[in-house]
Amino acid sequence: MQTKDPQKGYIAILGWSLRCIDALEKFDRRYVIVAPQWAKEYADQHGIPFVSWDFERLNDRSFELASTLKEMGVDVAIPLFEETVEWAGAVNSVLLDNPRLLGQSMLFRDKSLMKRRAQLGGIRVGIFEEAMDHTDVIRFLKRVNQTLLKLDGDPNDPIHFKAFDKAGCLGHRVIRSPDDVAAIADDEFPALLESHLDGWEFAVEAWIKDRKIQFLNISEYVTLGYSVFVPATPKLEKYRAKITEQIEKLIEVFDIDFGFIHPEYFVTNDGTMYFGEVAYRPPGFNAFELMERAYGFNAYQALVLAFDPKATQDELDAFFPTPVKDAVGHAGCFGVYPRRRVVSELSIPPETENDPYFEFHELAPPMETKVTKRTAFGTHWGLVYFFGEDPHRMRDLLRAQEELEFYV
Amino acid sequence: MTAHLQEETLNPILRSFDHVLSQLSSASPAGKATYQGRMLDTIKRLLKHPDGLAALEPRIAELEQAGIFDGTDWAVPSSLVPGMVGNTLRMAEPRTVVLECISLLRFLSVAQGAQSRPGLPTDHARHFLAQVLAMNLDRILGAHHEAARVKAGELDHAVDALLKHILASVGTEGILGQLVDEVWRVLRQRPIQVDHVKSMILQIALAMNGDGQSFSASDTRLGADRLISALFGPTEMCREDPGLPAYLDRLAAADTGSLQAEASGMARAMHDTGLVSDYHAAFLRFVMESGQSHLVSDALGLSSTGLDSFRCYQALVQQLIHVAVRPGCAQAALGIALMLERGILYSPPIAPSLWRLLGSRLTAACEASLTSAFGSEATPHQRLVAGVMMLLGQPLGIGQGNNPTCQSARALSMWALNDPDYLLWLLAQVSSNDRIIMHFEGQPLDSALLPAGLALHTPLDADPVSVVLVPHLDRIYAEMGRLVAGRGEDPHRWINPELHGWWVGRDFHIAVDITTGKLTAYDQFIRDFHVAYHPLHNGNEPVIHPQPAGIAVTDSQGTFLGWHAISIIRVALDQSGVMRVYFFNPNNDSGQDWGHGIVVSTQGNGERLGEASLPFEQFASRLYIFHDDGLKVASEVPVDEAQIATIRDLALNSWARERQ
Repeated sequence: MQTKDPQKGYIAILGWSLRCIDALEKFDRRYVIVAPQWAKEYADQHGIPFVSWDFERLNDRSFELASTLKEMGVDVAIPLFEETVEWAGAVNSVLLDNPRLLGQSMLFRDKSLMKRRAQLGGIRVGIFEEAMDHTDVIRFLKRVNQTLLKLDGDPNDPIHFKAFDKAGCLGHRVIRSPDDVAAIADDEFPALLESHLDGWEFAVEAWIKDRKIQFLNISEYVTLGYSVFVPATPKLEKYRAKITEQIEKLIEVFDIDFGFIHPEYFVTNDGTMYFGEVAYRPPGFNAFELMERAYGFNAYQALVLAFDPKATQDELDAFFPTPVKDAVGHAGCFGVYPRRRVVSELSIPPETENDPYFEFHELAPPMETKVTKRTAFGTHWGLVYFFGEDPHRMRDLLRAQEELEFYV
Repeated sequence: MTAHLQEETLNPILRSFDHVLSQLSSASPAGKATYQGRMLDTIKRLLKHPDGLAALEPRIAELEQAGIFDGTDWAVPSSLVPGMVGNTLRMAEPRTVVLECISLLRFLSVAQGAQSRPGLPTDHARHFLAQVLAMNLDRILGAHHEAARVKAGELDHAVDALLKHILASVGTEGILGQLVDEVWRVLRQRPIQVDHVKSMILQIALAMNGDGQSFSASDTRLGADRLISALFGPTEMCREDPGLPAYLDRLAAADTGSLQAEASGMARAMHDTGLVSDYHAAFLRFVMESGQSHLVSDALGLSSTGLDSFRCYQALVQQLIHVAVRPGCAQAALGIALMLERGILYSPPIAPSLWRLLGSRLTAACEASLTSAFGSEATPHQRLVAGVMMLLGQPLGIGQGNNPTCQSARALSMWALNDPDYLLWLLAQVSSNDRIIMHFEGQPLDSALLPAGLALHTPLDADPVSVVLVPHLDRIYAEMGRLVAGRGEDPHRWINPELHGWWVGRDFHIAVDITTGKLTAYDQFIRDFHVAYHPLHNGNEPVIHPQPAGIAVTDSQGTFLGWHAISIIRVALDQSGVMRVYFFNPNNDSGQDWGHGIVVSTQGNGERLGEASLPFEQFASRLYIFHDDGLKVASEVPVDEAQIATIRDLALNSWARERQ
């Protein structure tokens, strides 16, 4: 096992991820995992430093967690999941003696606040509004389409409906008609409504230290909610300078000193960037794994460096590769949703398995045969990973997966 | 696939493999588990690649060090149980199968001394593998069970190849006893196809010639010797397997007495084992060509019945031998001998039909199928004539191969047994016109114009007659199914009599409601079966023609696998007074375990060659379709309620569990 350097930072990880633990086991920082009680047994078995914590309980206990960690000598807390972002903000405001961090984390947790803040800072966003109930959604749908000078009977431009505080595509619906509105359950409100932007959507992963971008990755979406790969095609990478500018704006507007952000943007045909949303935690679609495959660095260890107040610029410079140039290939993954209503087994299509770019999958055999009807962009059933040299071939390959049956 | 192309497809797999392996090996103990799954998936792809096994073997030690077994039941090899391996390889989900495969490869590398492991001595590793091989002979023998075929997993071929590779690497020591027993068991069913058996006997022979071999059990020694000699040295003059030219020289120099002894020795070996040596074929040709045809009947081991047939039709039989029996194609000698014994040549159309066959010219399509199935060592015509001889001699020796065509195989067997004239007529149609025309309720069906049936390809792992006929029969069977699809009842009610012949009973009994899949009037079904077939309940009327019947096949756990076509040959008391149903299963090996103590017997309970049998109640408990001739039974004896209850319980505990 890697020996720990007591001169370097002591890190608390909020959330349970074996990949992250594995990365820390192999890194020179001391660490402790803060996670729910159910993980304790595994942690004890494998000698993983562990503090059990219930993140679903009320926030007023966050000070208790902060003091516990402070007593242990922890320097900083890193959130792994959307649900632990404000916990990390609260804890870090105590550990780093910076009350502003709690407020900042609340911004990251609320999609509506986040947009307003971006708008106030002069970042371009689409039209958006909060919805408290169904009538708000109908009104927004109508107003947006009026604005677009649509006549009665013209097909509507869609709008997007997103839960305020859920990660990624969870609770994300595309609304085209009042019928779609009727399908929304009452408990999905309040929510954020956004106009649809016709453009190319992509994500960015940026590690920040001392208000400076340390490493910036562009993840190209082939189809939103289905597939992503890194590094992006040259056509998207040519926007890198513009994108860097946008991220620097975000750092200013959100007052980010350190850490890791994962924003999403649209770029329209004329090259204008629209801000979608930003998260202060690792992306859900496992871009970390893809970066490790493409560049060879461990993105969780990078996360630690970006948060650790004791990390030096030299250390960071030595750690990160040069974007695009240092990549040994393009790594992509595809999120699988069952296409049938009733499935009985997992069956990797031969087209997929025999493709030279195919690497492996992390799909689970079905637990139940009935597939719940997919109303929103839900959770995929697992990811399929690919790796190869040609970004265009990668893109086409990922797109082709959408037509295949993985569960039959 | 060319070697170049294989390499091209192997390299990307190896690239992923190396990447994932490096992830796994650098993972901390806590993180290992997250990489094992993807590692196993990558190994799976390697195993499925034709060159994958060779690429995998040298990486086994590295895989183990990387921690592929960590935290699993396979982590401590010395605590593994050989008896559980087979079940895992058959039943488990793919990742577990892969884990078992690399566990076997780890044993192999220890057994070969390539890798040493504390706690796992070389001897132990070898013994472990020997036990695994012995308990999975069916896979090595290549015998395909219904259970295995229905459930064919994506890794089955890879696992078979792995086991064969292990066998080739560690040798047959320790498993010979079981191997020999198994070969005898299969041969007693007199299968037409014996290639896989021959290759096992070859393995046994090589093992016994190898050094360090000692057979403690003399029974095994005897049994193995008999098998090997039947193939490689059945008689005095070829005892040491001198090669065909040397043997022919010896025959040329031999006196009458020696030739006579050769003839009876050959016959004895053939009838003992069901195997025909190439020397036997050479002997038959030699005596015919050297004007000593009187030795042919002795060399065929004919009884007075067979001898009489032979004498009546000597010219025909000699011509058949001349065309069909030759080294490399010797099994036809057994077919001819058994055909003569059956006396079917006395039926007026048979001899002329066989002359027609001998004079027939095959179409290009027939020739192509036969050549691709059997190679070009013998001409397609010679293969076909040999195939007909074997089928007519061993009607119950036909198997469906690894094809979903039990209906067609059963039909061929029935015709060979009951209506050989018709069989030869079908064959003549295909061999000259590439088509069969059958009539279904008056409407002609032309196989040349019909779409493919259940089998997508010409079956290449079957006997010559099947290779030629099954594609056509299968299409006609499927078309008949389409024609009756809308009738709301089981299609076999109409198909069975129309496909097979007038002698299939028109009274149709089925235990399952076709729309719901549930049992319907099951007690009455059981009662009807007794009245139709049980000699103590039907006025002692024997089964007159083989009758098609449908069974619910279950696996050794009694779990339902699928519907399967068989034929009932006869119902009779066995030597210990148990009433048994003797039946034909077109599956390649009838000795199957259907669960809950129902093990199909193929010998020792009064079975004739190729028959399978079960006690009447056990058979009835798996039956779901049968036909009856509809004749009034002279004196019907009521069936005991307790008997019905026994049968019902057996069914309800297995295939009918969810069908009440």
